[in-house]
Amino acid sequence: MTATGGGPALHGPDAADPADNDGGSRATPQSKAPRLRMALSLARVEAALLVRSVLVLAGLLAGALVIWFLLRSAEPLWWNVGWRIGGGQLVLGMAVLAAAQLNAGRARRDAMADLYASFPATAGTRTFAHLIGLAGAAPASLLLIGAAAVVIQGRGAIGSPSIAVLAGGLLLVIAAGAAGIAIGTRFAHPLAGVLGALALFISSAPTHLASGGGIWLLPWETFQDQLGWLPGPLAGYPPAGAHAVELAGLAVLAGILAVAVTIGRVRARVNLVAAGILAVVVICFAGALQLRPVPTAELNHLVTEIADPASVQHCTSGSEVRYCLYPGFGRDLPSLEAPVNGVLAHLPARPDQPLTIRQAALASFDGTFTHGHPNWQVSRWNAQLQGAPGTAATVSAIYLSVGSWPTAGGQLADARFDVALAAAGWAVHFPLPLVNGQPCVPLNQAREAIAIWLAILATHPPAGELQDGLRGPGGGIAGTEVSSTMVRTWNYPGLNANYLVGVVPQFTAAGYVLANAMTSLPEQKVSQVLDSAWTTWLNWHTTDAQLATALGIPMPTVPGFPVPGPGVRIVQRDQGNAPQNPVCTS
Amino acid sequence: MHQLSPRPRLSWLPGLPLLARYITATMPWSTLLTGCLAGTVFLSVLVHVAGTSRGPLDQGTVRLAFLPAVAALAFLLRIPFRPLTQATPVPAWVAPAGHLLLAAPVLAVTCWAQLRIMVQTIPPHTIGHPPAVYPVIAQLTGWCAITVAAGVCVDRSRYADLGGAVAAPVSFAAIALAWYAPVTSRILTEPPATALGGTTAWYAIAAAALALTCVAMRDRWHRYSRHRG
Repeated sequence: MTATGGGPALHGPDAADPADNDGGSRATPQSKAPRLRMALSLARVEAALLVRSVLVLAGLLAGALVIWFLLRSAEPLWWNVGWRIGGGQLVLGMAVLAAAQLNAGRARRDAMADLYASFPATAGTRTFAHLIGLAGAAPASLLLIGAAAVVIQGRGAIGSPSIAVLAGGLLLVIAAGAAGIAIGTRFAHPLAGVLGALALFISSAPTHLASGGGIWLLPWETFQDQLGWLPGPLAGYPPAGAHAVELAGLAVLAGILAVAVTIGRVRARVNLVAAGILAVVVICFAGALQLRPVPTAELNHLVTEIADPASVQHCTSGSEVRYCLYPGFGRDLPSLEAPVNGVLAHLPARPDQPLTIRQAALASFDGTFTHGHPNWQVSRWNAQLQGAPGTAATVSAIYLSVGSWPTAGGQLADARFDVALAAAGWAVHFPLPLVNGQPCVPLNQAREAIAIWLAILATHPPAGELQDGLRGPGGGIAGTEVSSTMVRTWNYPGLNANYLVGVVPQFTAAGYVLANAMTSLPEQKVSQVLDSAWTTWLNWHTTDAQLATALGIPMPTVPGFPVPGPGVRIVQRDQGNAPQNPVCTS
Repeated sequence: MHQLSPRPRLSWLPGLPLLARYITATMPWSTLLTGCLAGTVFLSVLVHVAGTSRGPLDQGTVRLAFLPAVAALAFLLRIPFRPLTQATPVPAWVAPAGHLLLAAPVLAVTCWAQLRIMVQTIPPHTIGHPPAVYPVIAQLTGWCAITVAAGVCVDRSRYADLGGAVAAPVSFAAIALAWYAPVTSRILTEPPATALGGTTAWYAIAAAALALTCVAMRDRWHRYSRHRG
């Protein structure tokens, strides 16, 4: 048992040490020094308990898992990653809050208030020690930041970390701990700490609590910002410095409340009230700073970056394909070139129009960017963004979604396949990504199987993953309606990850099974067949059966839809009352 | 070692009506009601703050709002003075089992109230059917069962003193893992799981958790608290 334990102001038999009731006026330097030493000694014990608390260690693990979950599929952009690390700190903060509440409520929970009152340390000193002991939560928080930073840097992070954002995460943990102590000094039941932790979580999780600039007032907003879709850091988004000040103010205010509950001296309480008012003023000031609009000049610059990417993107040409990427994203180039070159290497002839692969960012601004700006200004920005290259259909460009390009693993393989398929689509003259429209379906068109075959040859994805595309969500059969006929569809790997901007053609199951059959043939034989009549194969009237005949293989059969009845469910990509998909005819 | 004399297994049954009064009196009502009310009040505040400008509340918000009630459940099954209780003719598990039975209707009412609050935010004449409620009820039942099992297991461990303070985070971690882990989310999260499939899976989990609860509550082995140096 340690000699600490917070608790409310004790009276009568529970009265604290007389030194706590001397009004402070008669305290001599000689008496203050031992009290400070005592508080520091107790704080050291409390910090040690917090460092090895099971709850804090579990919170550290959970926080790491949350960071991994938030960042596993995202491109490691520091202006986004820094804030996501704060999401993990939020979880760690919940654990620290619960642990701190347990520590602060220890004396009353164990019915030991009388015993603690007999100790030399007063309740106020013990609470003060608890607050200083929150330093014991800092190693876990710093470890979380450090480990995340190492992993992110190892994945080739773009940009540089913001100290203010990372410090904000640390302050969040400290503020949560201070809140836990404030709760524990008043409510000793462990449920109070758990509810406090839940309140911290719930204040940041739902999207109904705040909108616009108000999201930055939450302890740590997690789901409403657009940081992951920015091509670079944007000043004032998030207002990290002001948010750190707000969290520091909240930590101080919680600490003041905790001490105020436990001390009995009137004069000290008056001082605490004054300090509390000051903390509230600081919090309000920081809140006002966070509600300031994002600077117009910054948003103008961002709109220019998105609407006129050529002015800022670095373009590289290779194999007559232009790759245009935002500054700092050059590390993505090799992983883009490889699948495209793989497709080009198997092409009998290239289209006349050269291919451009370009990054595209946000299509519109939401309230988190535009709060505080006049409507006409917002309309102008959105009109400019509507004219951005990524939002208009073109036949010779593939647009990559900024921030979505993965760095490794199966997701990178999927993304490479998607780019290869889009490049193959360009090669066989598919209409390239449509935006805000229905995807066309290359129904019974030989060029569809050729495009899939090219993409498979270029990237060699696992056969099982390709086969999975025949199944719809939930294991059903995927299909769509074309020309009043239900057609079984094939969803390529990474379809739902939105690595590309816009809507690509909806591939059919028939096209995939034919392409799969083509991969089992000698590559040279298929190439000869394609070479011999390339123009014919590109014609959208040329059917799968004609291609199969030319290759000397029977047309693979595609199982039809089961007879509708109980338990049969047809899943479409676009749920709802969407119109029928058109046939790709260009 | 003492050898207890065997007694008829169900000899305590006739005294059950008398026990009911004490079980009701020892029920931690304030803990349970605090948890239930906290979530419901939060949901009401959300309705007030959000208004109609940010769209109706969804089932995800109800799930969040039910978490405090789930947390309170973790504190419910504590058996105080277990060594003493085990020496009485009435089995030690009768009191926590009774508490659990008393808590069930309170939790059901909380769930009903929160779903009602959610439904009230959906504007009338909305096109399309609202999502089915039965998968949410199954899910919340599963959450409660997991929490009860965690609470009972912690009560039989060296962390019994902290009880729900350990059991609640453990339950939340288990729920989060079940929700987000790729393997389990395919079965439990809709989509990709179907409403019927998810419901079946959650009720299966609830049944397994309750079985574990029964085993843990009947466990008579005394675990000593850890040595504190």
